[in-house]
Amino acid sequence: MALMSSFAPRLSDADLLARIQSYHWWHSIALREGLTTFGGKTEAILAQEEQALLSPFDLAGRSVIDIGAWNGYFSFAAKRRGAARVLATDSYIWNHPIWRGRETFDLARAELGLDVEALMLDPPQITPQLGLFDVVMFLGVFYHLYDPIEVMARLRGITRQLLLVETHSDLTDQARPGMVFYPGAILNQDATNWWGPNPATMLHLFLQLGFTRIFYRDHPTLGRARGIYAAFTPEVAEGLILRFDDNWRDLDVPGAIEALVTA
Amino acid sequence: MNEAELRSAMGAHRWLQSLRLRDTLLTPGLKSEAQLREEEAALFDPLNLAGADVLEVGAANGAFSLAALRRGARRVLATDHLPWTLPGSDALSATQWAAHALGAPLETRAQDPRELSAAFGSFHLVLATACFEQWFNPILALRGLRSVTNRILLLETMQDALADARPIMMAQSHHAPIGGVQGSWVAGWAPNPPLMLQLLIDLGFDRILYRNHPSLGSARGIYAALLPEAPDGLLAGFAAPWANLTHPQG
Repeated sequence: MALMSSFAPRLSDADLLARIQSYHWWHSIALREGLTTFGGKTEAILAQEEQALLSPFDLAGRSVIDIGAWNGYFSFAAKRRGAARVLATDSYIWNHPIWRGRETFDLARAELGLDVEALMLDPPQITPQLGLFDVVMFLGVFYHLYDPIEVMARLRGITRQLLLVETHSDLTDQARPGMVFYPGAILNQDATNWWGPNPATMLHLFLQLGFTRIFYRDHPTLGRARGIYAAFTPEVAEGLILRFDDNWRDLDVPGAIEALVTA
Repeated sequence: MNEAELRSAMGAHRWLQSLRLRDTLLTPGLKSEAQLREEEAALFDPLNLAGADVLEVGAANGAFSLAALRRGARRVLATDHLPWTLPGSDALSATQWAAHALGAPLETRAQDPRELSAAFGSFHLVLATACFEQWFNPILALRGLRSVTNRILLLETMQDALADARPIMMAQSHHAPIGGVQGSWVAGWAPNPPLMLQLLIDLGFDRILYRNHPSLGSARGIYAALLPEAPDGLLAGFAAPWANLTHPQG
């Protein structure tokens, strides 16, 4: 046992509120009764996203990595759902002088008392030395990368069972695989947005990278404008999948893309 | 080697391109001599290759590399990746044999373009034909090509999404006559001109010219991208049907 505790003294509600207010937040995270971070994404939307993304899976005892964790909502959600190990990673937001994402993550983690690891990691720097994770979460990051294909290949190298991707989509009326490129700040006045893939493109990339089963669903609140993909390696354990509800569709079967386009 | 011996040795290889080895001796390539000639003219006629160092990426049997040597290039390094390295591939040995039969001082090296870097060398002209549609990651491959170019990049490619003004690339999976006798499935992309323009600008090219393929029209495009270090004089040979995408009035 350590001679001295490394835990900081518990903040008063007033001090915690002041700390919360000193940051910009993207995730609305309830840190205490009546004290929730003021995120651009509401608690209600995050709850729907969490339900859509994580409820089909049994995370108990799994290892999970969150690429682009931002304030940490989905890392914390994975831990609360029983994951044995959760590694939250980010780089752009965690190093950003305005978003100060690492400080926000550290504050939320300390307040929630969750055993979630943190690592400053830029997705293009991912290598197999990071180790294998049962579940890799890649949420809201694909379209922010100038070279998402390279990062997808790197993610394959650290995925033991499941790669979970959420992304902005484009060309969704086309059954042929294609991606739109957004120079400058064309997409949503945000210069960090680069690519909009359609579901056929994502299927193409997953299959080329050696994922063998791919499931898709529309975003729970934004519909077809954003897609959620669950891509499984051949090594997936049967117990990882609890149940895909009717919102999900099997994408790697003949005619699936055509059916999605006309749905 | 007399012509009968040449013909016999030639028959031991499978040919991607039709190379004229003697007046009456042509390798039986999948791509015809006529199409190669018109593509060579479209690619090289605007340029004076005398004394140039040239790197070809995706050389197949080296038709364009051999043409660059005929046009006076000082050094030509022909490279290819999957067609030269897949199990059962014969294209590299065929290319080396053809260069020997022609007495051409062609250098050859199997090379993944994604792994090109400045340490590989620096070339006045880098040429890549029919590559984009075989690159799983064209962003990384283009970055590799840029790293070894010091004046001009010539890129010929399949195109798609031509009706859309937005920069787009469409994924392509097709069966190609590379690797073993049965061929191989290859995954790549077909860009539209707005995407090529943007990717080349992002790589630091500041003058970008375009023309349609000489016989296949806009289904395939040819891009000439010049770095800031390239003198404006290089532009002189790019007459119509070439169009300047970066300086339309120029």
